Amino acid sequence: MEATIEVSGLRKRFGPVLALDGMSFTVVPGQVTGFVGPNGAGKSTTMRVIIGLDAADEGTALIGGQPYASLRHPLSYVGALLDAAALQPSRSARNHLLWLAHSQGLGAKRVDQVVEQAGLGSAIRRKAGGFSLGMRQRLGIAAALLGDPPVLMMDEPFNGMDPEGIVWMRGFLRSLAAQGRAVLVSSHLMSELQDAADHLVVVGRGQVIADTSVAELIAAASGGRVTVRTTARTEATTVLAHAGATIAVTDRDTLVISGLAAEKIVALLGESGLPFSEVSPHRATLEEAYMELTRDAVEFRATAAAGEAAR
Amino acid sequence: MTAGTVTPYRAGQQPARDGFAQLLRAEWTKFRTVRGWVIGLLVALLVMLGLGLFGAAGSNGSCQSTSGGPTRSGQGCFTAPPVGPGGEAVSDSFYFVRQSLAGNGSVTGRVTSLAGLIPAGNGPGTATKPGLVPWAKAGIIIKASTQPGSAYAAMMVTADHGVRMQDNFTGDTAGQPGAVTASDPRWLRLTRSGDTITGYDSADGTHWTQVGTVALAGLPATVQAGLFAASPAYQAISESLGGGENGTIAPSQDTAVFDHVSLSGASPAGTWSGDYVGADYGSGIGGYHQTGGRFTVTGSGDIAPAVPGQAGGEDLTVTVFLVGTFAGLIAVIVVATMFITAEYRRGLIRTTLTASPRRGRVLAAKAIVLGSVAFVTGLVAAAAAVFLGTQLARGRVYVFPVSWLTELRMVVGTAALVAVVAVLALAVGTMLRRSAAAVTVVIVAIVLPYLLGVVSVLPAGAADWVLRITPAAAFAVQQAVPQYSQVTALYSPGGGGGGYFPLAPWAGFAVLCGWAALAVALALVLLRRRDV
Amino acid sequence: MRLPVPANTGPADTVPALADTAAARPLGLAEALHAEWTKTRTIASTGWLLLAAIALTVAVGAAAAAGTSCPPGVACQVDPAKVSLIGIDLGQAVVAIVAVLAISNEYSTGMIRITLSAMPRRTVVLAAKAAVLGALVLAAGTIAVLASVLAGRLILSGHGFTPAHGYELLSLGHGPVLRAAAGSVLYLALIALLSLGVAAAVRDSAVAIGIVLGLLYLFPIVANVVGNAHWHRHLEQIGPMTAGLAIQATTDLNSLPISPWAGLGVLAAWAAAAVLAGGLVLRLRDA
Repeated sequence: MEATIEVSGLRKRFGPVLALDGMSFTVVPGQVTGFVGPNGAGKSTTMRVIIGLDAADEGTALIGGQPYASLRHPLSYVGALLDAAALQPSRSARNHLLWLAHSQGLGAKRVDQVVEQAGLGSAIRRKAGGFSLGMRQRLGIAAALLGDPPVLMMDEPFNGMDPEGIVWMRGFLRSLAAQGRAVLVSSHLMSELQDAADHLVVVGRGQVIADTSVAELIAAASGGRVTVRTTARTEATTVLAHAGATIAVTDRDTLVISGLAAEKIVALLGESGLPFSEVSPHRATLEEAYMELTRDAVEFRATAAAGEAAR
Repeated sequence: MTAGTVTPYRAGQQPARDGFAQLLRAEWTKFRTVRGWVIGLLVALLVMLGLGLFGAAGSNGSCQSTSGGPTRSGQGCFTAPPVGPGGEAVSDSFYFVRQSLAGNGSVTGRVTSLAGLIPAGNGPGTATKPGLVPWAKAGIIIKASTQPGSAYAAMMVTADHGVRMQDNFTGDTAGQPGAVTASDPRWLRLTRSGDTITGYDSADGTHWTQVGTVALAGLPATVQAGLFAASPAYQAISESLGGGENGTIAPSQDTAVFDHVSLSGASPAGTWSGDYVGADYGSGIGGYHQTGGRFTVTGSGDIAPAVPGQAGGEDLTVTVFLVGTFAGLIAVIVVATMFITAEYRRGLIRTTLTASPRRGRVLAAKAIVLGSVAFVTGLVAAAAAVFLGTQLARGRVYVFPVSWLTELRMVVGTAALVAVVAVLALAVGTMLRRSAAAVTVVIVAIVLPYLLGVVSVLPAGAADWVLRITPAAAFAVQQAVPQYSQVTALYSPGGGGGGYFPLAPWAGFAVLCGWAALAVALALVLLRRRDV
Repeated sequence: MRLPVPANTGPADTVPALADTAAARPLGLAEALHAEWTKTRTIASTGWLLLAAIALTVAVGAAAAAGTSCPPGVACQVDPAKVSLIGIDLGQAVVAIVAVLAISNEYSTGMIRITLSAMPRRTVVLAAKAAVLGALVLAAGTIAVLASVLAGRLILSGHGFTPAHGYELLSLGHGPVLRAAAGSVLYLALIALLSLGVAAAVRDSAVAIGIVLGLLYLFPIVANVVGNAHWHRHLEQIGPMTAGLAIQATTDLNSLPISPWAGLGVLAAWAAAAVLAGGLVLRLRDA
């Protein structure tokens, strides 16, 4: 049986709010799957339904083909980090991991292993109430790893991490995926996911909007534009337009070319002996791609303040 | 962006005055916008009302007219007691040897002996043995008429309490102490002048001491004056962990011997006639005979205020309708505690104290809002419970009459009790910051002592102490009928319609206020000093 | 701080494959018990609260015994065992707090989600909590009751309740006293279960403790006020506290509203109903 998460046709209503409206996707092992969407898109709800905390009105969520509730020692199949602050303040962090371990038939030795893996060290014996945000995140990761599960699910794991921690987390997630685990990570921070995720599930208004690899998404949003800086602007414009490109002049010596590959542009300019200082293909950031995709699905949008310059 | 001056930001909103009224408004908005808290107060109201009505409904006793006869219940079994001049329910049954007295005059007599019979064992129909109940009484009396409940003034000797002057059932003044014997008789005199009656006693018949003087409003011109004998029912009060129970209540009787009896005044010289006053209410035992100037009068019954709770569920006081107070208090305590602890749990307290840094004012505003809302809830609930309970009880069971002023005190006092307990809960919640602990502490401080004292789980002495010292003393505001020292009865806080508390109503309330003030002071100190 | 570099433990075949779990589905009760026990013993407040329960029970019982005396000439029906054990009235409130917090704290911190994701069989979780709580309360209750009986024996004998006056010294060898003591320990455990059930149903600690204490105190107070003898008796028969405490009586058993063990049975029914209600809410509602 494969280590996968299969979500199919989930529907859930909280009073008047329809949180999930036919959510369907699959998370496969060996890659980091990013789970992104605007606020209120249903990411946290989906994760809670997967591990059986909330009951969906319709649809199924299966781990390796099994419903979560039927798994014995479920933490050895799915490790989840949903809410890092869900701790009893007066209990030490180590004891928190200890009772979790005991619930899966594991012991203190395993606790010490994951403590080392998550980089917590001696702070583990302090009361959990005194932990900073970043420490709590690490504690949550340690808890998720207790059962050495093939499936990992994390809700905004980058929250509260300092820059060093973010770099570490990125590498950590990638290594987990490289081991053949299925990793589902939800996040709002596109810049982090850009270098961490291989696959993306983009959701909005309780439904999946896009389910593609990161490379394809960025390519689709990039639009194939190339930026050229040259002092011979007029001549370059003529040459390139002649070759069939669409040209936009954005500055005294900057052109944005659509419709020609970068190498072709270099070849054409070289043939004509025109100097140029920059030929750079425009690569959309994940954030731009995401914004474009979810433009219609955003539920909460603040009105732009008067002085903010338009992008 | 050009370097140089930047126009400073001018706020569009005008700052409001930093006033206490704004703070009150903020706290009120905080309270009324949490649906759960508003519902909690509604629950308190309904529970108070519901339990009070349940108490009223569950209060018709059952009785049997004769052993083996049909069981009757409700007011058919119980004859409503007569009502005295002051409006209170009274016992007015005694043997009266009397003559009419028109206009002013006086009656004098000497009592040379007082003896009696009391039941020898438990149960009805047991043999009697010589003995006197503590308040067995005999003496001379001037009474407006032979109608039970009519105004009177009497000079009497009693078994254990010496010479007393009693009037209109509630008045009681002590005279010469000591028991009456043939060698140590007592002389008694009552003098009537218009509406005023003065009582005198003497040891030798020549030197008279005035014991007291009373004005009986509306005394008719012709009154009845003469000798009387009455002996209240014998009660075997036993002490047990149940706080004491009335063992048996059986009639007793006493016999007094009078001589040197004289009746002077503007009256036609008549003959003495004897009869039993209040035969519908008392045992009817009594009689007299006269040999020369010597009268031997035997009587049974009492001329005194009636005590509720003696008739086995046939009667109750208005206090019963307020039995739901403790349950309403629990709901109010939960809401009041959560009003402050919810802020600590969510970290909202930081927002509050940032908006209003003067912490004392914040606590005061919360207390005022909470106390007001709790007061209104308690007022509506108590008023409705008393009103509806009285309606419900009518025709089913006898409710001891209370003046409207007393009822007002009971209702407003209960509302005030609820309000102060809410403030107490707020203070304890501020101190402890954990809701479960705070709720338990307050409930244990006010409801548990009420339970232990009222339900007679503790011995009487301990229950008395508990109802004086703990915040539960404030339940004294719910006492309907005052305790009379001239009536022997089991005065307990509970026991089916009793409702007697050791402290006077507002004194008990003051005890609760003292506790609340202490808690608020402590809470203030902690709130100011602690980091948040 | 140098962060450990995650060890790349190799290709996919080292990751444990999901076993076929459809066939064998053991309850997982043993692990749940172990986890709940670890949870309980790693919080300092549980121990302190149980200690407070013991101390208050013994103190109130001793105070009541010290305050009991028979004035001469009055028929005095004192039940020595009941007097010594009166502290249970207060101790039960602390036990109720411990039980309520065992569940409510998880809801208020959000830890319930971790618990239910680690142990998805919610009935098993509740059963494990009940078992751990029950065992702890039985232990603490035994200490409290034994100490109360001892204190009562010492104090009452100094107040004239000696064989010379017709009172046997309190001793566990005496049948009724043993029943009163053992029954009181069971009483505390049942109160704990009742509170656990209510807290599982209601989830908020303040509301739960209000409901529990309200239920306990409701029946004796209302029964006391009701004049109708039948209603009075029935209320005392069905109330959790009034029926349950009948177990403490060693004298004058005929005047009890309900026989001792039947009374404890009534309380057990209340506790069972509460745990059932709590279990249903736990199973059916979202975490």
